[in-house]
Order: sequence, then C-alpha cells, then structure tokens
Amino acid sequence: MNGRNTNGLVIALPKGLLYEGSAARLRAAGIDVPADPGRRLTINSPDGTRVLLLRPTDVPAYVEFGAADCGIVGADVLWEAESNVCELADLGFGACRLVVAARREDRYHEGAQLPTFLRVATKFARTAENFFAERDLPVALIKLHGSVELSPLVGLADLIVDLVATGNTLREHDLVVVDEIASSTARFVVNAVRFRAKYDAITALLHKLEGTAVA
Amino acid sequence: MRLPAGTRDWLPPELRRKRAVENELRGVFERWAYAEVQTPSFERFDVLELGLGDVLAQQTFLFADKNGTQLALRPEMTTPVARLVSTRMRGAPLPLRLSYVQTAYRYEEPQEGRMREFTQAGLELIGPDSADADAECLFTAIEGLDAIGLGDVLFDINHAAVVDGILAGFELEPAALATCKHLISGRNVVGLRAFLAERGGGAAASDLLALVMTRGREDVLGAARQLCRSDAGMAGIGRLERLLARARELGHGSRITIDLSLLRDISYYTGFIFEGFAIDLGFALCGGGRYDKLLPRFGFAAGAVGWSLSVERLLIALERRHSTQFGVAPAIDVLVSGSDVVAARERAAGKIVRIDFERRSESELVEEARQQRIPRVVLARDGAVRELDVRW
Repeated sequence: MNGRNTNGLVIALPKGLLYEGSAARLRAAGIDVPADPGRRLTINSPDGTRVLLLRPTDVPAYVEFGAADCGIVGADVLWEAESNVCELADLGFGACRLVVAARREDRYHEGAQLPTFLRVATKFARTAENFFAERDLPVALIKLHGSVELSPLVGLADLIVDLVATGNTLREHDLVVVDEIASSTARFVVNAVRFRAKYDAITALLHKLEGTAVA
Repeated sequence: MRLPAGTRDWLPPELRRKRAVENELRGVFERWAYAEVQTPSFERFDVLELGLGDVLAQQTFLFADKNGTQLALRPEMTTPVARLVSTRMRGAPLPLRLSYVQTAYRYEEPQEGRMREFTQAGLELIGPDSADADAECLFTAIEGLDAIGLGDVLFDINHAAVVDGILAGFELEPAALATCKHLISGRNVVGLRAFLAERGGGAAASDLLALVMTRGREDVLGAARQLCRSDAGMAGIGRLERLLARARELGHGSRITIDLSLLRDISYYTGFIFEGFAIDLGFALCGGGRYDKLLPRFGFAAGAVGWSLSVERLLIALERRHSTQFGVAPAIDVLVSGSDVVAARERAAGKIVRIDFERRSESELVEEARQQRIPRVVLARDGAVRELDVRW
C-alpha cells in the first residue's frame, strides 16, 4: 500500500535517562532492544516491530503525527509538549520531581520575600509559565537548554524550574527546593488513531508492559 | 511574495485532482437525494457564535466591517447551514437533505492535514431524531469514501447518551463531568484513573476504565448495558446494536467498531457519533453525528444529523496510496490552424481544441501534434480545409 509500516508496531523510545528502564520493559515484553543502543537511530525486530531512538522531547511529536504508533516518555515531557497523544499507562519507573529551586542563601525556601519581578530559568518554559500564572506571579522566563543549575549562581535568574531525581545536583550547587510543581514517571503513550487501527497489537504490548510493571 | 501560513495555491494538476474528488463526492450526495447549497464565506460573528463550540470560536478568523460589526470567516459549514435552514428554508418539508463543498477557515497550527484554509465537504439531514437518519448519515459517509477509492477506511461509532448513562452512576458536578468526558475522549487513562481515584475509585471506576480501553461490537454493547444507568443510554445501546446489524447487511460489518470513548466535541453531539480513519494516517478522515441542540438555538425546532470531511485530507490519503483514479488531464483532441470557424465547429462537437497562433507550416504542425500526442490536426489555408495525417 505504501512505504510505511502497516503491520508491526513502531515504538518511539527516549534516549537518555529513561532509556535503560524503557529498554528493560520492552525486553521483558519480548522485544529485543540492546542495553546500549550506541549511535543507532532505529532497531528492527524480526517480528516486524520497529523501535525509533529519539531525543526524549521529540517522542510526543513522533507519536502525535503517527510516525510512531506508540512510545514511552516522561510525564514532564508531556506537560511541556501539550501534545495530542493518549496517555494509556503510568509505567512507574523514571520517577523524578519538577521543582522550583533557589540559592540557599536567598532563603526563599524559608519564606523570604520574593523579588517583585521574578527571573526564572528553565528548560520547562510552558509548565513553569502555567505554574506561576496560576499564582498570579509576574515572571520573566529564561528558556535554557542545559546546566540550568548554573543560572542562579551567576545572577542570570532568581529561581530555576528543573527536574530532580536524587537531589544531588541541587546539593552540589547549594540550591534548595522552594516548591514542588509535580512528580513525573514514565508513561506509555499512543497515537489516537493508531490505537484504533492497531488495537490488538497495542493492547497486547500495553498488557505486557503493565504486567512487568506490577512484577 | 509569501503566502500566509496555512494557505496554499493549487496548480493545474493538483486542482484537477481536487475537483475530481469533489465531483465524485457530489455524485454520491446526489444519488442519496441531497441538494447542494452555498453560503457566504463570511458572516456576522454573533450569528455564527450561536453554533460554534468554544474551540472553534477560538479558532475563528475575525474582522470588522466599516460600521464596526464583527464578522467572521466560517470555520465550518454546519452552523451556516443551520442558519440557512432556520431562516430561508424554514418552510421546507422535513426531512431536508442538504450537502455542501465549501472552503472553511481556522486559525490553528498548520500541519499535515490541517490548513488554515481548507475545503469542507459534507451533508446535513434535518428532521426528527430517528435510527433511519443515523444509519443514512453513516452509510452516506461510507459510500462517499468508497467512491473516492478509500474502501479501506474504518469507522468507529458511538452514542453520546450511552456514555452519559454510564457516567450518571458517578453523580458528577457539571464541571467534573466535562473534565471526565475530556479525559475519556482523549483516552487519557492515566488522568482518568487519577480522577476516579480522587472520587473513591471502586468497582464502577474499574469498569469505566476498562470500557474506555475496549473496542469491539456486540460485546462492548453488552458490557455497556451492565453499566448504563439511564433510559436514554439504554435506547442508545439498542440503536447502535441495530445499526451494526444494518451495516452487516450492506457488507460493512467488518469496517465498523463500537468505541465508547469516541465523543469528538463533548458538548456538541446529542446522539449517534461516528468517525472514519485509515490505518496509515495519524488523523481522522471524516466524522459527524447527531446534534439536536443546534437548530433550536436558531429558533428552529428540529433535529439534525450530518458529517463532514476535509477534501485535502482525502487527497493526502490518495497520495499515500499512489492512487491514479483522479486527476488525469483531459487530452487535446485536435489542433486547429487558420480558422476560427473550424475551431468553433470542433468545440461544438465536444472536442478539446487547441488553436495554433503561429500559423506554422504543415510539417511543423504534424511534428507538434506528434510530440504532444494530439491525434488530429485541421489546417485551413487559402479557403481550403484539410485534415493532416499525424499517425506516429
């Protein structure tokens, strides 16, 4: 019919922190993915399954527009993308918290007065904007792409909004949590139309992924 | 020299293909006895707003006339047709069958299958709520897509009252009910599970979660019957069951699935709902249902059911299938040189005529005809009319 895969599933996996857990779940579900994918972009299984290895923030777009049928992605990425995908399961792993943090010496965590005009540095601009808007706090958002924890130390920002898994990075830079926005885990997401078109294959995979989540 | 985002030009081969698809749909509408109507591309916003949901109202292009009256480019065709029916066609005998093929405009992020200017084709069947009308709505859509060569399109069906009947057991406030329906409609199982857990969870919650994930036919309706708490919902289940049976008689049984999470615009549909989709496309190809609350808003007490599709999305689907069913350029029948009268006679005979402006020689004309695959050349010179031999 066309060049696209219409039989086996196309699964989008995030490289980076969630990769190891995602790959382990897929292996437990009978899909052979290596522990370390190296520089590969795709993995084709003999059963017709195709795995796409993507930057985590790209997973929602691949699923939303149907280049992948389904995928695994952190809830934090979903909040930020506001994409139109179906969130079918919380896989439970990859737990982290999205927090507001500041320098310990600024004492915001002990209730010190915030500046009237907050400068907030983050990779999560949309989520941060919603959080501060709900509290009627005027903020200037500074969108960064890495090393967000540096920004309050050098006077770029008063606060940061960032993901925290163990808290080590914050401690190393003498930053403390001022507020928690949400907690995130890995989610199994599907394209709304593909869920219907490949219902049997997707629900079978979902049950295997959830089965291993319980174990 | 750039076009605004979400708009496009249609070059001759593209437009030919598009027109062929539109005309094929018009043929289906006509065979089902639907009459085509046309409405203005812009209307007063206060009138259109009566029929638009919040999302579409947000996506409407607005502008003002010299008196400051707010005008809007129509974002869809159902509301203009509802206005037309409740004003100038108020006296028409029901049921009334109307179709349209018109451009519509939406302010949204352009992407595949989603343009700011697009062509909407569809039909509205105005009259009392009946199972026959729901069936006609679905069957016209199936035949429409079949006629285009999209016989592999699958259809999901649902009934708004069934979900309402199931949710009646949860006794939700209106705002919570809307939240819950959004979660169901978006098949956000994680969100729905959290929503139900906050309200105590329990067996009913698990049943609802399971139902949102289940697709099927009579089995799904059987499960829904166990959970439904309203007479309207039970009636809806009965309607879906009979509709499945009717579809089977037409040979469409394997293309139709019951999906109780199919709600589309949660505040718009009052009964039957359906959507058509293809396995290789990430977006729906057509959709519609019963919207009995719309016409009363225009002061006309009648129900209505209808569907629409975006012609551009059909074209994407055809392109993916490498379809050659549409858009073959009509061949030129004859090259005429030197006489307006001869050319007129050929056109009167229904031929496609190209006129030679350059008064070329016989051999040049024959060469041209061979290159362009034109089967005939008629030459008028010095009062004589001759047909040249162009066999190649």
